[in-house]
Amino acid sequence: MDELQPPVADGATAAIAERHEPLVALVGPPNSGKTTLFNQLTGLRQKVANYPGVTVEKHVGQVRLDTNREIDLVDLPGVHGFSARTLDERVTRDVLEGKVEGIRPPDALVLIVDSTRLENQLMLVEPVLELGLPTLLVLNMCDEFSERGGSVNDEALAERLGVDIVRTSARSGEGVDGVRAYLAGIDTSHGPTEHVERTLSNQSRGVSLPVVDAFAARRKLVSQVVQGADFVPPGPSVVSDRLDSIFLHRVWGPLIFLGVVLLVFQSIFTWAVPLMDGIDFGVSTSGEWLSTTMPDTWYRSLLVDGVWSGVGSVVIFLPQILILFLFLGILEDSGYMARAAVIADRMMFRVGLQGRAFLPLLSGYACAIPAILAARTIDDERDRMATIFVTPFMTCSARLPVYALLIAAFIPNEPILGPFFGTQAATMLGLYGLGIVAAIGTAFILKRTILKADPTSFLMELPPYRIPSLRTLALRLLDRSKIFLRRAGRVIFAVAIVLWILMQFPRTEFGAPGIEESALGQIGHVIEPVIRPLGFDWRIGVGLVTSLAAREVIVGTLGTIYGVETADEEAVALQEILKRDLTRGSAIGLLVFFAFALQCMSTVAVMRRETAGWKWPILQFSYMLFLGYAGAFIAYRIF
Amino acid sequence: MSYQDETKRNKSIVQALPVAKNEQGGADLRLGDIPLRQEVELVSIDLPAHLAEPLLERGVLPGCRICPVRSSPGGDPIVSVDGSLLALRRETAACLCVKILSQFQDAD
Repeated sequence: MDELQPPVADGATAAIAERHEPLVALVGPPNSGKTTLFNQLTGLRQKVANYPGVTVEKHVGQVRLDTNREIDLVDLPGVHGFSARTLDERVTRDVLEGKVEGIRPPDALVLIVDSTRLENQLMLVEPVLELGLPTLLVLNMCDEFSERGGSVNDEALAERLGVDIVRTSARSGEGVDGVRAYLAGIDTSHGPTEHVERTLSNQSRGVSLPVVDAFAARRKLVSQVVQGADFVPPGPSVVSDRLDSIFLHRVWGPLIFLGVVLLVFQSIFTWAVPLMDGIDFGVSTSGEWLSTTMPDTWYRSLLVDGVWSGVGSVVIFLPQILILFLFLGILEDSGYMARAAVIADRMMFRVGLQGRAFLPLLSGYACAIPAILAARTIDDERDRMATIFVTPFMTCSARLPVYALLIAAFIPNEPILGPFFGTQAATMLGLYGLGIVAAIGTAFILKRTILKADPTSFLMELPPYRIPSLRTLALRLLDRSKIFLRRAGRVIFAVAIVLWILMQFPRTEFGAPGIEESALGQIGHVIEPVIRPLGFDWRIGVGLVTSLAAREVIVGTLGTIYGVETADEEAVALQEILKRDLTRGSAIGLLVFFAFALQCMSTVAVMRRETAGWKWPILQFSYMLFLGYAGAFIAYRIF
Repeated sequence: MSYQDETKRNKSIVQALPVAKNEQGGADLRLGDIPLRQEVELVSIDLPAHLAEPLLERGVLPGCRICPVRSSPGGDPIVSVDGSLLALRRETAACLCVKILSQFQDAD
């Protein structure tokens, strides 16, 4: 088999062989610096997608080597083993075994471990080595390893494991050239790797041991290997221990946690506002400019009122999402997020969730879509389902314009506690509270019925504190915003176009019909009997339909229906007109409806993807709609 | 390949792990009963395989040394094991059977 293949066998295989760039898989446990190394190697030359049929992100990038050659690098999810207990583990195993559609079997592996926890992390090595692929072992965080007094003989370790070894500090970039050099040396002259049956097991090869013994045997092997390489384990991290005694302190811990949550909140709602206003202004003025410069035809209206405003209603959320993810990225990469999850866990456990759920729920205050994606870090499938099911109850920023309009119009501002806290602020706070109560109640019910999970399922590794790398942060921000624009954008955009069409037909002799005569207005009339008991007429009905694109769209729709522009100075006019058609009770009912109902098709679409089916999104949509309707009905009767 | 099928298959091979047998015949000691900074040796994990496996993968193995280093504000244990820091729930700690290391063992 070692003889060189002749360069040309037949046309087809030759073409494949020529095009063949080596594919290298990057494998390692979570928190080993895998993503940092991947970013160092590929930079912007990377793509994020999903593995077919599952919600695990597939990161593939190109590494340009000095020799003007490129190799493909796939960054696999961080795993502790290959038991296929979690989706991440299953995907990692399948890629390594060459079973994933669209990814050829890897030609070589780069295995990265956190050298400060060498023995523990090397437990991952044995099953990987069984694959028999050329492997580079990267001992990452070697600076910290040495600082804390750890040492190991690399040559001896390499020899015993049968791999090449490079020491790196991926964050500072130290040693990354060594990885490049290894990648450049991968020999693929034999053409594409032949597809051999490879299997990864948690068991030692050929021997079927009970699970515990298999792990014990592997751990023992690791001990023997490192002892033979004069391994001295590093001392405990004094800095991390000191920080933990503050961040996990009985009193300071929860206080700091609360402070961090408030800071994230503050940043979403205060710092993002000028940016969002700027985008709003930009979109509306450019829209006006478009409509004055373009000839008055049907497609002008489609472009300006459909496409352009559709784009605007997506992009407007971007500043908040970027700021949110910047914060979350810093918290994650510094190691604080793991501590925060530990602090939140007991509280979350009482309501049927777990510590890791706090991150998606917090993100839900900006937008449910990134929040639902963020829930992927919850390794227990039932906990993840329960979390994403209740996430849309968090008061997302799309609800705020609706709340602001209705509260300003119907709640007289009377002081309760001094000049800064009046009835209007109390109503706003009450609506936030309503969302939280609904989320807690729902989680409570779910965990006692269809999503029971074992209390021992929560396990959190606390990595040492580290200074986040700017490069990794920046690349992740770019990633997240792309995903958001793609996911939310598509749906909001499509719904905006459909709504525009519904407003244009049936055509009259003067062109577009009035809103009441349009298909959209007729839909409003059709659903009027259903929403009558809530005190809503067909106009609100139309608003409820259009707000399915994104909740805040109802404000613009009502503006259009009542014939007022929604520019700031005229917002007052809309409030005045609304008072004619809504009573205080029905207005509060509408607020409650928006607090509960899942008026967001993007969320439904994301739920379908994340749960791989229609069952959950349909259940969620109906449940929230029912709560919204019932809540609005009760509110209408009470107030 | 269907991932769902595989989950099911994976769960069907759940097997019980050996429960701690206390040599002295007394009540067995659990990690949850151990005071802070007292290093102990893990004897067995009283959990079904699919729940024990995440612990095993992180080096929480019979024979390993575990030391509770602090407790979270909610009262759950944070332990040092195999060079890592792990946060558990007290429900999990109650399933880990341990024995106190004698001074001889402690010295090495």
